[in-house]
Amino acid sequence: MSRPARTHVRDSKWREVRTSLILCGPAFALYGGFIVLPALLGFAYSFTNWTGWTNNPDFIGLANFRELAQDPWFHSSVRFTLFETALMMLFFTFATMALAVLLDKLRTMKGLVRGMFFYPYILSILVSALLFRYLANYREGAINSLLRAIGLEVLAQNWMLGREWAPWFIFALVAWSGLGFFTTLYLANLQTIPTDLYEAARIDGAGPIKVFTRIQFPMLLPTLTTNSVLALITGINLFPQIVVTTQGAPGYDTFTIGYYIYHLGVLNNRQGYAAAVSFVTFAALVGVAAVQVSLLRRRQVAL
Amino acid sequence: VSRKRKRKSRWPAFEIVLLMLGILYVSPCVLAVINSLKPLPVIRENPFALPASLYLESYRFLFTEARLAGPMVNSLIMCVIVILSLITTAPMAAYSMMRRRMATGKLLRLFFVAGLTIPFQVIMVPLLKEFKTIGAVSVSAMDHVAPALGAEATSYQTAGQAFLAQLPVDFSYVALWVHYVSWGLPLCIFIYSGFMATIPKEMEESAALDGCGPVATFWRIVFPLLAPCTITVIIFWGLWIWNDFMQAFIVVGPRAQLVFVQLYTFLTDKYVKNWSNIFAGTVVLSMPVTILYLAMQRRFIKGLTAGALK
Repeated sequence: MSRPARTHVRDSKWREVRTSLILCGPAFALYGGFIVLPALLGFAYSFTNWTGWTNNPDFIGLANFRELAQDPWFHSSVRFTLFETALMMLFFTFATMALAVLLDKLRTMKGLVRGMFFYPYILSILVSALLFRYLANYREGAINSLLRAIGLEVLAQNWMLGREWAPWFIFALVAWSGLGFFTTLYLANLQTIPTDLYEAARIDGAGPIKVFTRIQFPMLLPTLTTNSVLALITGINLFPQIVVTTQGAPGYDTFTIGYYIYHLGVLNNRQGYAAAVSFVTFAALVGVAAVQVSLLRRRQVAL
Repeated sequence: VSRKRKRKSRWPAFEIVLLMLGILYVSPCVLAVINSLKPLPVIRENPFALPASLYLESYRFLFTEARLAGPMVNSLIMCVIVILSLITTAPMAAYSMMRRRMATGKLLRLFFVAGLTIPFQVIMVPLLKEFKTIGAVSVSAMDHVAPALGAEATSYQTAGQAFLAQLPVDFSYVALWVHYVSWGLPLCIFIYSGFMATIPKEMEESAALDGCGPVATFWRIVFPLLAPCTITVIIFWGLWIWNDFMQAFIVVGPRAQLVFVQLYTFLTDKYVKNWSNIFAGTVVLSMPVTILYLAMQRRFIKGLTAGALK
């Protein structure tokens, strides 16, 4: 009471700041220091010829970006990444939707069957990659063993490192581990559809196809947006799966952008150029995802 | 009529087809279990047959030559300390953003959540450089490949490196810990702050009236209410860190004594063609998560998809 009012205000303000510092400080320091700072440093390195070993990289302006425009490796990794991304977007938005609608119809063993489809998602990338490497192995893999056993030896091939099948091998690996995740998002959405809508459709004599096109599909659109964006991100950032399977082989066929960055930055000491590649990709991804979200949102409103 | 119908609806063809598909879907895992119990020649003969006799040599190999027990303990410790760091720092920060009358609270939340969009490849190389400058990473992937390429790996030594090198601790694991925590923060803050908006403020206000400071209020009143989120974070990051191969491989290097880096290193070294060992390795390292998954499947699925559902 006897304290002058001004000191009191200053005191409480200081206390407020101190509290914020205690509460928010650790998170801010870690995130700022080890996520934001490297991201900004990376942006700065993209204008240099830094090799990763010298202390003072030289500023070379836009040379990295000019090189990137004419780099055939970069172009082929972009092509391959886009191919995989397109496959994943189709698979993770539509195949998973079909599976979710089917799983939603189960009356018994719901948990068991769902649990089986989700299970590969909890396995390490390395585990799923090793299992797929085994399936695809030429000499002793499961697929070729099966083909030989049923007399179709002519079809046996190197599924992982053959030119023709390597892209599909990578896709199958990512699809297998991710399927459960995307399906679960649809299933959660299906559960929010009010049962009286189904009742009304049943009374009107609508078959399962009508129910899907008129009720389920429109109600699933928000998740369709989410899933297609998540599939886009999964596809563009495709990287550890390559490290533990093909490592870019055969030739440079299965270089994804992520793997190319790793190849340049960690294996070949071209950090400046690697930073340029990662920033161009990142900017493109953010741009495409933003456009995609706004387009799909607009469609949702229109329906 | 009704009885017949009832029996028919209990096991219709539809359910059985989906069950079969489900079994087919997990069949690669079943193959791994079966074949981990056979020696290599038997696997080559017929990978689909059940083992005639139990062959446990591969499992013995894992814990003797491959010395996998140590890395398993290390990975578990890493999981625990990263989760403890996350479930203290993230909810505190989320609380201060959502509840304190901080003018910048919303902006700060946006700043953290923006981190969800940053892919690892973007920060990978500068982060290694940063750790090297501090001195925490000396045996990184970069150093490992440098001599092979003829580069002078240790052409310079920072003051930090010189200082930390004297201490009897391997700081590359500290670096990995720091990286895991900062990598996990955006998602955790996103989940916690979203949940916090649904908790009523009255209890905190009455605690404040009783003279409880904001930090104490947070720990005594708010934190227990956040338990569902905390469980999600534990499941998500526990699984993620146990399973992580890539980031540990890049930050600490191929010699990292963590489960999946070790599995990768020793399998790609010389035993790559011994599928029996590979299968035993994948089975042993997937066992803990599988048991937890079977015990609480619903919690697991909920926890792992929580981030995307918002």
